[in-house]
Amino acid sequence: MSSAKPTLEARCLFRSFGAGDTKTTVLHDVSLDLYGGEVSLMMGPSGSGKSTLLALLSGLLRPDSGEVIALGQRLGQMSENEQRRFRLRHCGFIFQGFNLFPSLTPREQLEMVLRWGEGTSQREAERRVEAALKQLGLGHRGDLTADQLSGGEKQRVAIARALLKEPTFCFADEPTSSLDWTNGEQVVQLLRAAARERGATIFIVGHDSRIMPYADRVYYLEDGRLSRKTEPEA
Amino acid sequence: MFSSPHNTRNVKLPYSLLLIGRERGRYLPAILAVAFCAQLNILQWGVLLGTLSVLSMPIDRSGADVWIASRDVLSLELGHPIPEEWEARVASQPEVARTETYLFSFGYWHKPTGGSEVCEVIGTQLGEQALGALSDLTPQMRTRLTEPGAVVVDASELERLGIHGVGDTAEVYGHRVVVVGLLHGFKSVGGPYVVCSLRTARMILPLFQEKPHDTMYLLARCRDAAAAQQLIEHLRQYPDLSAFTRDEFSLRTRLYWLTQTNAGIGMGFTAALALLVGLVVTSQTLYAATAASLREYAVLRALGIARWRMGAMVLAQSFWVGLFGIAVAMPVIFSLGAAANFSGARVLLPAWLFAGGNALTMAMALVSGLAALRSLRLVEPITLLR
Repeated sequence: MSSAKPTLEARCLFRSFGAGDTKTTVLHDVSLDLYGGEVSLMMGPSGSGKSTLLALLSGLLRPDSGEVIALGQRLGQMSENEQRRFRLRHCGFIFQGFNLFPSLTPREQLEMVLRWGEGTSQREAERRVEAALKQLGLGHRGDLTADQLSGGEKQRVAIARALLKEPTFCFADEPTSSLDWTNGEQVVQLLRAAARERGATIFIVGHDSRIMPYADRVYYLEDGRLSRKTEPEA
Repeated sequence: MFSSPHNTRNVKLPYSLLLIGRERGRYLPAILAVAFCAQLNILQWGVLLGTLSVLSMPIDRSGADVWIASRDVLSLELGHPIPEEWEARVASQPEVARTETYLFSFGYWHKPTGGSEVCEVIGTQLGEQALGALSDLTPQMRTRLTEPGAVVVDASELERLGIHGVGDTAEVYGHRVVVVGLLHGFKSVGGPYVVCSLRTARMILPLFQEKPHDTMYLLARCRDAAAAQQLIEHLRQYPDLSAFTRDEFSLRTRLYWLTQTNAGIGMGFTAALALLVGLVVTSQTLYAATAASLREYAVLRALGIARWRMGAMVLAQSFWVGLFGIAVAMPVIFSLGAAANFSGARVLLPAWLFAGGNALTMAMALVSGLAALRSLRLVEPITLLR
């Protein structure tokens, strides 16, 4: 199931916030590997540093020390613009909440990502968006505005937005937190399908134990330290 | 167009326009602020232009190509008497086809009902080819004005002059005058204009009784109107006089009042205030609209989309807000302008005023967009991670 070489390696990550007396270290010496074609789940209680770790792995935040190597490139050595281009080319994100423009339709929100991000032509963007909407069962809902969609539909649009450009990595922060399990399971299955069918590296942060059966690797983070992990048998 | 999503599949509108159309309530204050700004600016400059055009009306409605005055004259009303014999200097120039004298001075109009009013007396030749005579004077008025003491005034000034109409008499500096005709649209900003013959003007104005061989202006018509500038060049050899084309003297008179009186300064101040109000409201509305979508923009940033794309959308929104605001303002400006002119106020709305006013309003809207760009500094994907 996993390729021999990790697509993303995190080595000895430390990260703190604040300064002086208010300085708080959120991550202590975290190292892990993520693999293409796999779903990795990071579990842990609130405040354990899961989201900070996601930000470091995806290049949204720089570590105080340690390094992140993605596809053989050291993210820490990239300029801000280089990191942005790396994310544009390789990363999809799903955040808590749907974060969709309420008055734009799913079709428009997805086309915006392609047209603004990759400079895709209108015709090509329409074709790819149509295919994505159909795949997610939203073909008939693509012309409603986001505020007319149900929570599950909104989250599927958010997933489509993350996976539309067929990224190497997809980072999902609590993707099921605002959904019932019927919709939540659908979301996890979609992410797992992206890993299986396209070889994407999926990294999910959450504390919903119902996701665990869909994950290939499960990590536990407590007080900023990796406490244990469950990996597939060799 | 905006609210029916099915229609938008084939007609691809820019995202900036879609958001304005579908979130009208959010953007309406900005559109109205721009409309208010455009209306206030264009209308008040229209009022000012109308007022200023009244000041230069005797010049604009004359048939002279060139006005010759005392040295450094600032405006029509601020001339000094010059010797009538200078007419020969002008007449001897090769470009000149005809010259004549023109009297202009303040006077005291003594009402038959008691009390007095400052008036502005204009004395001109009256023949068909006369240069100084207003184009509004009918042949009948010209004939009757040749009678000593005959004057014409604007119909709207009757009450101010304490008379009722044609045939009424009054006194100017103790000399009896009789109203032989009424003009329309010749209302003055200062004292009412009292138009008469050169002979009557010399009779009633003490200034020209004391200086019977002086005139206030010399008017010239050129053989070819295009030679007016050349004539002015030639007249520069006489340092004790100044000469202007009709348009130059008209503009000079209006500019003097615009720059030297509080009216012009006040109008400029109000215009700046309108721009400032429009700027603040538009900029705050765009800022608030962008700030309300910070999380959506932050996702786009996380996905690697460049910040300039979002900045371009805010600027595009400011352009649309400007355009819609101007579109709302135009019919209101036309209606209010027409209503003002109908009620007797003079409002001029030339095409260049619309072009300039709208360009200024659009610039204001775009500057508002630039000011609203600061909200994009708040767009940070990390804020999406709780």
